[in-house]
Amino acid sequence: MNTISSDMEFRQALEALSLEQQRYVGARFVTNVLSLSEDARLQQVVEAATSEGDLESAFKIAKRASLEAHTRCGTEGDWNDQAGYFVARGVEAIVEPQIRTAGKNPAWKAAMQCRMARTCLASESDEDTHDLETGAQYQLLNDYLEKVNNP
Amino acid sequence: MSKPSIKKGIDFIKAQIDAPVASFFSSCVHCGLCAEACLFYTESGDPKYTPINKVEPMRRIWEQEYTMLGKLKSALGLTKPVDEETFKKWETMVYDGCSLCGRCSVVCPVGNDISGMVRKIREGFAAAGYAPPDLIGATQRAVEIGSPMGVKLPAVKAQLRHLEEDTGLKVTLDEKGAEYMVLLSSMEIMNFPEYLEAIARIMKQAGKTWTIASTAFEATNSGIQIGVSDLAKVIVSRIVDAAEELGVKTVISPECGHAYTAVRWEGPNLIGRPYKFEVKHILEVLDEFTKAGLIRTEGMEESRLTYHDPCQIARKGGIVEEPRRLLNQIASNFVEMSDAGAMNWCCSGGGGVSANERAEEIKLTAFNRKKSQLDALKVDTLVTACANCRLTLEEGLEHNGMDIPVVGLTEMVAEHLVEEESVS
Repeated sequence: MNTISSDMEFRQALEALSLEQQRYVGARFVTNVLSLSEDARLQQVVEAATSEGDLESAFKIAKRASLEAHTRCGTEGDWNDQAGYFVARGVEAIVEPQIRTAGKNPAWKAAMQCRMARTCLASESDEDTHDLETGAQYQLLNDYLEKVNNP
Repeated sequence: MSKPSIKKGIDFIKAQIDAPVASFFSSCVHCGLCAEACLFYTESGDPKYTPINKVEPMRRIWEQEYTMLGKLKSALGLTKPVDEETFKKWETMVYDGCSLCGRCSVVCPVGNDISGMVRKIREGFAAAGYAPPDLIGATQRAVEIGSPMGVKLPAVKAQLRHLEEDTGLKVTLDEKGAEYMVLLSSMEIMNFPEYLEAIARIMKQAGKTWTIASTAFEATNSGIQIGVSDLAKVIVSRIVDAAEELGVKTVISPECGHAYTAVRWEGPNLIGRPYKFEVKHILEVLDEFTKAGLIRTEGMEESRLTYHDPCQIARKGGIVEEPRRLLNQIASNFVEMSDAGAMNWCCSGGGGVSANERAEEIKLTAFNRKKSQLDALKVDTLVTACANCRLTLEEGLEHNGMDIPVVGLTEMVAEHLVEEESVS
């Protein structure tokens, strides 16, 4: 198996997964940035996404969490808090009902939100942390595929 | 902002009373149509939110200062002077209970621009020190930092890096001679970064050069919302200076309602001269690109969806057909809300209402109008073209337990782009 090293390969590999697998892998991406949010509800949602949990209730919780975490128009933004908003959006993506996603890949969507969460931390400086998250996601997917292909 | 005082507030209101305002007050026939057009009145049922009542302090000053009868009544002590008590009482009507949506102005049978007068009276309230603390803070940040939400250049740079690494699309800051200068709202930078990616993909396919100015990336203008023209001028001047320095042909206003009003309509009046460039809303640009065959879309959204017209873009900006042409290209089940287009109902969060935390209760009450419209349609998706509308709608839907995703139109168009090299 080739190791994933670009977004094109990353996206293709995610597309090849079943919806359940996409939710599972998305949950791993989110778990990698979960510490950037202080919202304890998100952990419960991630658990629901990776088990036989109630996805509908989990989605409602995640949606409420992301709405509560956004920065209101005109209020002073805090990029550390804003990272939490993107984590919540990532969590929302992995439990979003299929009727809302219109066939879009939840794992890819979660991955993008997680990268934004990491980007938030660099938003007050010129520091670049974005590619670290991208690399971490490639590794997480590689590990998962390795496990699936060589049980 | 210099030190506020009641005297200054009254003087500022007096200064706003020009011939149109005087004729508006003279010609009001007290028909009450403006009340029926205002979602803050119709949904709360409270007569204090009748639009013409919101400018009552200005009417009193006009009558007492500029009419014979008013002067006589004042001399005889038959009218109430405008004082601190008046400012205290009217502040929430002027700011919390008005989204400057302009629906009242459109229905007025004698053509009174009531919404425009609310915008003008806010000048006096801000000068008197009776403005929402949240809006004062936002305006101070906009002037001192360049963004009402405190977004600084490193945040924009971080997003551009994110964009480049995820899509391979490079955006150059301060590129002289680019055709377009793209403005962003802080809301898009902080909450909806997908807008920037959509723009990058669309511009690439259209084969157009574009840039973002490091000194003027922010489109929003809280000076307009709070009602301080001097500060509004400072904010709009940054955009004008940057656009002229870079020599761009067109400045693109983002998916933000009041930003469009500020830069497109109020801007030239604020700086006292015409621009040397054009200002277009992103939907106008997308429509032009589509008509010219510069961008091509494929696939159709099949879910039942509707479009919420942002007031400043549709009613005040005249951009009504463009979003419909775009939607009809990418959606097979697009349905219209009642009162769609120029007579749309506001989301309830415009004109600084959503930035004003103490207005939360009245905002959610006013949202009931949109809820009724959506209940009648039973749609799966709600599309709009203003980041502030988008969040206000999301909050209102959540508050009412309605599960309808809200999507930005620019992003939706980008999702349907034919994946190929520039077709220009």
